[in-house]
Amino acid sequence: MTSFKKFILGITACFFFPWLCLVVIPHSKMNADIQEWTDADTGAVNAFPAGKPNIFRQGQIVYAQEGCASCHTQMIRPTYMGFESWRPGFGKEGTIEEPVRTRETRLGDYDGEEFAYLGNQRIGPDLSNVGYRHDEAWHHEHLYLPQSKRDFSLMPSFRHLYKKRKIRGQKSELALKNIEWSDDEEAQNYEIVPTDRAKALVGYLMTLKKDDPFGAVIATENE
Amino acid sequence: MTTEEENNETINRRSLIDKSCRFPVLFFIVSASAWLIFAATLGFIQQMKMHAPQFIDFSWLYFLNYGRSNPAFMTALVYGWAIQAGLGIGIWIMARLCSAEIKNPLTLLVAGHFWNIGVSIGVFGILLGYGTSIEWMAFPKAVWPILFASFSMIVIWMVMMFFRRQDRNVYISVWYILGSCFWFTWIFLTSNMYIHVFPGSALAKASTNAWYLSSLIYLFFVPLGLGVAYYLIPKIMGRPVHSSQLSYYGFWGLAVFGGWTGIQKFMGGPFPSWMPAVSGAAVIFMLIPILIVTVNQLMTIREDPSLINHSPALKFTAVGIGFFIVFSILYALGSFLSVGRFTQISFTSSGYQLLAVYGFFSMVMFGAIYFIVPRLMETEWPSANGIKSHLVLSVYAILILGVVHLFGGIWQSSAYAKFDSPLENAIAAAKPYAIGASLGWIAILVSITRFIINLFCLIFKTGQREIFPTLIAATRISPNK
Repeated sequence: MTSFKKFILGITACFFFPWLCLVVIPHSKMNADIQEWTDADTGAVNAFPAGKPNIFRQGQIVYAQEGCASCHTQMIRPTYMGFESWRPGFGKEGTIEEPVRTRETRLGDYDGEEFAYLGNQRIGPDLSNVGYRHDEAWHHEHLYLPQSKRDFSLMPSFRHLYKKRKIRGQKSELALKNIEWSDDEEAQNYEIVPTDRAKALVGYLMTLKKDDPFGAVIATENE
Repeated sequence: MTTEEENNETINRRSLIDKSCRFPVLFFIVSASAWLIFAATLGFIQQMKMHAPQFIDFSWLYFLNYGRSNPAFMTALVYGWAIQAGLGIGIWIMARLCSAEIKNPLTLLVAGHFWNIGVSIGVFGILLGYGTSIEWMAFPKAVWPILFASFSMIVIWMVMMFFRRQDRNVYISVWYILGSCFWFTWIFLTSNMYIHVFPGSALAKASTNAWYLSSLIYLFFVPLGLGVAYYLIPKIMGRPVHSSQLSYYGFWGLAVFGGWTGIQKFMGGPFPSWMPAVSGAAVIFMLIPILIVTVNQLMTIREDPSLINHSPALKFTAVGIGFFIVFSILYALGSFLSVGRFTQISFTSSGYQLLAVYGFFSMVMFGAIYFIVPRLMETEWPSANGIKSHLVLSVYAILILGVVHLFGGIWQSSAYAKFDSPLENAIAAAKPYAIGASLGWIAILVSITRFIINLFCLIFKTGQREIFPTLIAATRISPNK
């Protein structure tokens, strides 16, 4: 290793190949090809990815800005790796109200997104299919005061996405119901409503349904 | 010329070089240290918030929520402290080994200021809610060009320094430092371009992010840290490295395998399975160059083991290398599917990052700072006890954090793997470990405070100081020896 030229050539040669294979090529090639498949029962022709309306990008930005990905994953691994898809305690107030179609996440599930927030740590539950588990009102109340829905929760309160305002005329439909007011008068005259950022975030969570059916495995209703 | 005259000339030359790079190097070290104490404070806060969201949970402090303080802490630690300290020390070692006084210190100062402006916008941007939630790239999108421009200025300066060198020998440390700077520029530029600028597959962006993180560790922090160690150990020991051939093999081993690592983070994820498999294999193969290099360095220390008791710089460096071996073995273990399914995306994965950036790289940097700053200031460290307590508390804290993150992550993942038990159990399983990690952070905070007080007393020349070289062993070597 005597000359600078040889040195630069050497480290470039070593680094170029992994860079090409792990960064450059995946960027253009890693979108799933649309595959058509026929449903054996109905005979209908379907496609995967189904080309559903895209995820709610405004809300995904809030999701990123609030750092939700520091605790939540959006990656369901195959069952030989772990169980992220469904467990007791998911769903409304801990009851399984409807069987949620879950499978491991696939290549096509993130198509069209800006960035796939697969997650860094798993402190909270996986959110790949959270759109099925709760309704919007639940999400708002949970974001405002997580411990009111799950007393064991380690999630911080996202109060700053909500605002307190005086009720003028009709009370808002979106006003949160899990608020402990200091007195009756305040409870009568004030309400806490989501800001646009909170609405965007919940809108995004409601679109998280990574379960487009695909041909090779038929998604079952009672998995 | 007699030997004495030659010696005197060398000493004069060295002191001229030291004088010429005093301001830029001190600027980098001092601002890095300021970021370090900031990062450690945020680190403690985010760790507390992880298990106790009620901790300092006032409405107006919403920006300290875990989701913001965690990426802000990591950004401050990596970009504010680690990279900046590495650059400062790299510059000094380049000047010493090229045996040339530095020219254009203004370039370095300007680049350094821009780097700090970039990191400040980044960290406060994340806290104020403009972050991107992308690991180690969480700063707002506009920040990376600032960081890239200032880093490139420093790299260009280093290359020019290399061509102006007076010493015809090129030491192994120089190659390690130049290599790390070259790789950083490439990794940082292309990752940011692919993630923020070019359109492309969302999943490929996630895998690029995992690759970025791991490549930054293996191709920037590792060669830079090892390069600094390759300077410090022979210098303090007063003897050449055990085998210079081995250090070249080690370097090329890093170069060959380093770029393949990272994507094992997502094994079992929605990727073509060759990607995590290749990365996992590369991490295991990395053990070969790493063991070659570290054993080579530890063998050099073994040739006169009594010296390690006296020199704080040597002690910190040796501790850093020790933690590096632990890190690379654990990281390789986590690349096996059977272990990785429990360690991926858990406490363990953030523990790896801490072990690499704090346990290994920062310890070597502390060693280098203890060696360099007295030479720049031409005075001694004010307190030997300060250095000793910094060392002991750091080792203690890193051990706590390492154990807690490793076993906490495995315990937590095992709890998640019991699919028929409620979510509550899985979350409760993680809590005691998070509490333990907070204790580790308190120790880190105290140790860093001790370090900062010592550093600032030295630089601003306040407080009592030692007259002889500050050594941490009770027995003193007399200055004449």
